[in-house]
Amino acid sequence: MAIWGGVAFALSLAMMPLGLGALQEDEQLGKVTYDRWCSECHGVDGDGTGSAAGYMLPRPRDFTLAMYNIRTTASGDLPTDQDLLRAINMGAPGTAMPAWDDVLTEAEKQALVQYLKTFSRFFPLDENPVPLVLGSPTGVSEEVIAEGRGQYEAIECWKCHGDQGRGDGESAATLMDDTGFPIAAADLTENWFFNGGADVEDIYRALRTGLDGSPMPNFSDVLNAGVMTDEELWAVAHYVRSLAPEDTPGISEVVLAKLLTEGAELATSFDDQAWEEIEGTYIPLVGQIIVKPRWFDPRVDGVWVKAMHNGDDISVLVSWSDPNNSPDPLWSDWKSQVTRIMEPREAADNEIDAAPDQLVVQFPMQMPEGMERPYFLKGDSRRPVYLWEWKSDRQTALEGEARGVGTESFQDEGQDVSVKGMHSDGQWQVVFTRPLLTSDENDLDFITGEAIPMSFFAWDGDNGESGNQGSLSSWYFLLLEEPTSTKVYVAPPIAMLIAGALGFFIVRRVQKREMESFRS
Amino acid sequence: MRKHFSGPLGKSVVILGVAYLLLEFGIAYIPPLFGVDSGPIPDSVLLQYMVTVAIGILLWVSFNETLWEEFKAPLHAAMVEPRQRRTRVALIVLVPVLVGLMTFNSVRPSIAAPPSLRSIHPAPPGQIDFQGRSMELAGVENPLRSVGSPEEHYLEGRRVYYQNCLPCHGDGLAGRGHYAQGFNPGPASFQDVGTIAQLTESYVFWRVAKGGPGLPNEGAPWNSAMPAWEDFLTEDEIWSVILFMYEQAGHEPRTWEEEGEEH
Repeated sequence: MAIWGGVAFALSLAMMPLGLGALQEDEQLGKVTYDRWCSECHGVDGDGTGSAAGYMLPRPRDFTLAMYNIRTTASGDLPTDQDLLRAINMGAPGTAMPAWDDVLTEAEKQALVQYLKTFSRFFPLDENPVPLVLGSPTGVSEEVIAEGRGQYEAIECWKCHGDQGRGDGESAATLMDDTGFPIAAADLTENWFFNGGADVEDIYRALRTGLDGSPMPNFSDVLNAGVMTDEELWAVAHYVRSLAPEDTPGISEVVLAKLLTEGAELATSFDDQAWEEIEGTYIPLVGQIIVKPRWFDPRVDGVWVKAMHNGDDISVLVSWSDPNNSPDPLWSDWKSQVTRIMEPREAADNEIDAAPDQLVVQFPMQMPEGMERPYFLKGDSRRPVYLWEWKSDRQTALEGEARGVGTESFQDEGQDVSVKGMHSDGQWQVVFTRPLLTSDENDLDFITGEAIPMSFFAWDGDNGESGNQGSLSSWYFLLLEEPTSTKVYVAPPIAMLIAGALGFFIVRRVQKREMESFRS
Repeated sequence: MRKHFSGPLGKSVVILGVAYLLLEFGIAYIPPLFGVDSGPIPDSVLLQYMVTVAIGILLWVSFNETLWEEFKAPLHAAMVEPRQRRTRVALIVLVPVLVGLMTFNSVRPSIAAPPSLRSIHPAPPGQIDFQGRSMELAGVENPLRSVGSPEEHYLEGRRVYYQNCLPCHGDGLAGRGHYAQGFNPGPASFQDVGTIAQLTESYVFWRVAKGGPGLPNEGAPWNSAMPAWEDFLTEDEIWSVILFMYEQAGHEPRTWEEEGEEH
C-alpha cells in the first residue's frame, strides 16, 4: 500500500507541470470549503483533532487513516467517491456530524470529497474502489424475523448489542474504536440514530461491509465461507429492523394520561398488562450544557412515557435504554475513561464516586397562569418546581422542590409518591404513582383536562453522570383525560336539528310565496 | 356542467373552494417547491381569511341588481322548481349534516398543548451588568472590528462557537445542531434574515451574555435554553464569536445609524 501511495504521489508531482488547472481549482475549492466548515472538528490537517474534538464522543473522523465506517465496499477497502459524498450529505445521526446536503453546494461537496482523499496517502489517484454487489432485500414475514432472531443468536450479535438489542451485551462495556476511544454498541431499538441509514437495506449493507474503525465486524466473509446464506443475513437485517418502531417517533408535546374505565385497576408496576393498551410518547433528551459543569456525552438520549389515571390516582411509566444498572464494577473502566476524555473539565477534579442511575420528573409547584411556566432548569425563586426523584440504589421515590439549579431539596417524610423500578435487557422501567390531590401544599395537584407542564432529567451513573452532568428535556405537557362531557353527544344533534328546521322553514316560505305570486 | 359554473353563484362556489385549498394546503406546500420554508396556518387565521373572501364575494354579487338576481336565481330554483326536488332534498339533508360535523369538531375533546407566544426580539436595555461591572450597550459597535487581525478574531470566534454553540445552533448556523430537537423553542437560525441580520452586534452581545435567564418580562415564558454565557466566556470571546457568526452566515450586522434613521 505504502509503495503504491508513493508511486501515486510521484505521479501527481509529475502531472503538476502539465498544468491541470481545473484540478487545482477543484482542490482550491475543496480546501476553502474544508477549512471553513470542517476543520474546527476534523482539524486543519484532517487528523480529527480540531479544537472542538474533545467535546464529542465518538470523536471526529481522522481522515489520515482513510478508515470509513459507512461504505459500499468490502471491509478493509477504501470508500467510493459516492460513499464519501453520501456521508457528507447524510451526516452521522446521533453524533455531532450534521447532514450537509442543503448547506453546501454540489460543487463544494464534490471538491470536498476529492480534498478529503488528499489527507491520506492511501487513496489511489484515478481508480475508484469497487462497491460490493448487495442485491435487493428479501421479503419479510414473521418466519423471516424468527429466522433472523435465530441467526442474531448464532452469529453472536447479542455479545455487544444485547439480547433485546439495546446495546447492553456483555462486551459493551469494553468496546473501543480503532483510535482508542470508548464506543457504545448501537442501541438497535433506536434506528433513527444509525449511521448510514435506518432502513433494512442500510442494516444489511452495514452487516456486509462492517463498520471499519469500530468493533462492528463484516459478515461477507461468513457468506463467502458458506457458513451462512444470503437469505439468512437478510433475515438478520429484517430482525434488527423489527427491533425499532416502524416509524421514527415524532415529537408530540402532550402525554395523555388515559382515564381508566370504571372498575379497571390502576397499574402500579412496570409489568402490568394495562400498559400495553397505552401508546408511549417519545421525549428526546440532550446533554445538560446550560450551567456548569456541562456534560457533552449524555447516555440517555430519550425516554418513552405512558400515563393513566382513575380519577383518584395517577401512574406514570417512564422507560429508557441504559446498558446497565449503575454502579456496576464491569463498567468502572468505561466510566473512568469517559470522565477523563470529555471536555470541558468543569466538574470538581476528584474522581466521582460510584453513582447510581437517576431520573427526575419535574412539574411546576403551582399550575401556571396563562403561558408563564417556571424556568425549565429547576425553576427560579418566583416560580418554584415540584420534583419526583428516583435513584437506582434506593427503593423509594422522593418528592422535592427547587427554586433554581442547586437549590433542590427533598422531603423525608409525608411522601405521597410511590415508585417501582426495574432494570432488564438494557432498559429501565420506572413507574411513579401518586394521588391526584395531596394535603401537602408544596405538591402540585393534578387537575384533569389541563395541560400540566412536565419535563425530565436522567443520569447514567456509570457513564460518569451525576449532579448537573446528565441529560434533560424541555417542557412537555401531561394531560389527564376527562370523562367525555355530555356536550359532545348533545350539541351536534341539536345543531343539526336547528339547521334542518331552519332549512325546511325557509324552503316552505319561499315556495309559498312563489305559489302566491303565481296565483295573483 | 359548464352551465352550473358560469353563473355568479357557481363562480362564487369555485372561488371559495380555490381560496380554501390555497389557504389550507397551498401556503404549506407550494413555497417548499421553490426551496422556501413554510407551514400550515392556524385554523383561526384560516377562518378569518375565508370570511374575508366570502365578504368580498357578497360585495361583488350585490354590486348591481342584475348580478344579484342572477346570483339568487339558482338558489331560488333549487327551492321551488318541481324538477329540482332531488337537489332540494339533498340540500336539506346535507347542510344539517355538515353543521353537525362542524359542531362535533368544535366540542370534541382535544389534546393540544397550550399556545406559547413570545416576543422573539424583546427591547434591549441601554446598559447591562456584565460579570459584575456596568457595560454600556447603546451605540456600541464590536470593538474587535477596529483592533487586531480580523482573521485571528474570526478563528478565535470559530473556536468559541464550535466548543460551545455547536450542539444547538449547528455547523450550518441554521439552528439544527444535534441537540436542537431537545429544546422548545428551538435554537435560533443565524442564516435566517430575521435573527442576527436585523440586529446590532451589541444586541447580540446582550442576548449571548445574558441568555434565556436574562430575558425581560416580554420574553416569557422563559423556556429558552440559551445559557448566560457571561458565566463561561470573556468579553473578548463573546465579541469574537459574534464576529464569526456574521462572517460565517454571510450577514452584515445592523448598524446604529440605520437604527437611528428608523426612530
